[in-house]
Amino acid sequence: MTGVLVLVGTRKGLFLLEGDDERRAWRLEGPLLPGWSVFHAALDPRDGTIHAATNNEVYGATVHRSPDRGATWTRAEVLGLPEESGLTLEKTWHVEPGREGEDGRLWLGAAPGALFRTDDGGATWEPVEGILGHETRDRWYPGAGGLCCHSIQLDPGEPERMYVGISAAGVFRSDDGGETWTPANRGTAADFLPEPWVEVGQCVHKVLLHPGRPARLWQQNHCGVYRSDDRGETWERLEGNGLPSGFGFPLALDHRDPDAALVVPEEGAENRVTCNGRLGVYRTRDGGASWDLRTEGLPAPAWGAVMREGFASDRLDPPGVYLGTQSGSLFVSPDAGDTWLEAVSQLPPILSVEAAEWS
Amino acid sequence: MVVVLLPAVLAAEAGGRKRFEAEAATVGDALRSLPIADRVLDERGELRPLVNVYVDGTDARERGGLAAPLTGGETLRLVGAIAGG
Repeated sequence: MTGVLVLVGTRKGLFLLEGDDERRAWRLEGPLLPGWSVFHAALDPRDGTIHAATNNEVYGATVHRSPDRGATWTRAEVLGLPEESGLTLEKTWHVEPGREGEDGRLWLGAAPGALFRTDDGGATWEPVEGILGHETRDRWYPGAGGLCCHSIQLDPGEPERMYVGISAAGVFRSDDGGETWTPANRGTAADFLPEPWVEVGQCVHKVLLHPGRPARLWQQNHCGVYRSDDRGETWERLEGNGLPSGFGFPLALDHRDPDAALVVPEEGAENRVTCNGRLGVYRTRDGGASWDLRTEGLPAPAWGAVMREGFASDRLDPPGVYLGTQSGSLFVSPDAGDTWLEAVSQLPPILSVEAAEWS
Repeated sequence: MVVVLLPAVLAAEAGGRKRFEAEAATVGDALRSLPIADRVLDERGELRPLVNVYVDGTDARERGGLAAPLTGGETLRLVGAIAGG
């Protein structure tokens, strides 16, 4: 028997939902880490440890980890920015476990514009100098969520290749394990600047790599939805055919199909609610050439919002898709986005959703 | 010796313990002795802006901040300023 553990990070703690592979009935547990805003939480498939990027308005930013599904938690011992940088850690945003075989290694995205690496399972975190001291840093500007490093993607076939997304700096690729970083923003617009075609400064909202075709990346940006087929060298803008808006935050993929992607657009940067007074998921299955609105089981009227980390998919067949709203509802699609059901409501505002399989 | 009292979130981080005793000559010494020192001090060792430390009822910032001297017998109460929603 297999099943899914959904990790739901909220502004007021972490919730876990456990279900079988039908993904229609869920057992709710939590809140764990009360008092902490969980910007993102992930289950490390290598050892089952849960890692959570945790923030408190008073007590600062850190990372917690639990080896026993949330029964006990340990906080990072060493996590901060060096004095010579003139910066201090503002927020932790995303924890990405390393690859199979990279024992103890994880990556952490943070604000202001920082990437950290641990090689001891999350006790001590070292800032990645190639990001902290990047030569284009004077052209990075914080978005509404701060200068946040929110997307970290590891190429599963190339151990030295990885990507980060930082708002509003753009996408960067490393081909040497994180030592040096190349801007990967050609073709993505910064429409809020007088000259939109810049090397860096794009407001990327979420970047995902397709695990079955790692040269293909999808991106939800402040200014459009994009696809790259060449490791981020160039991007194609996609929202001309079926999407009501290019503005949005979350993005999810179908692990079986590199041509499929799901987004939840919002009206626009100046009116951040779901389009046309309803909560709907737009899905493409042709690489972004066309988009279909999926609404069955999703509420209307609704003026919701889904945060950049509030969307996830599992690796079952068909994949389950998970959507958490700022209104505290978690919607689940057990059939790759065709139909939806509300698994839980009235949680605190949902900041992040991740899905992990168990067997 | 001084006594340090923690609010609930920090007590949870300290294994559920709300009360600590410390040999400390300054407020900074007392805070640095705590297992949750990294939550009240940032990576520069500065007091986080929304953390208030009351020394026998007086805001430590009015007594010299982290350098405020302690003579022994004081009670330090950590209080998070009202923030967020």
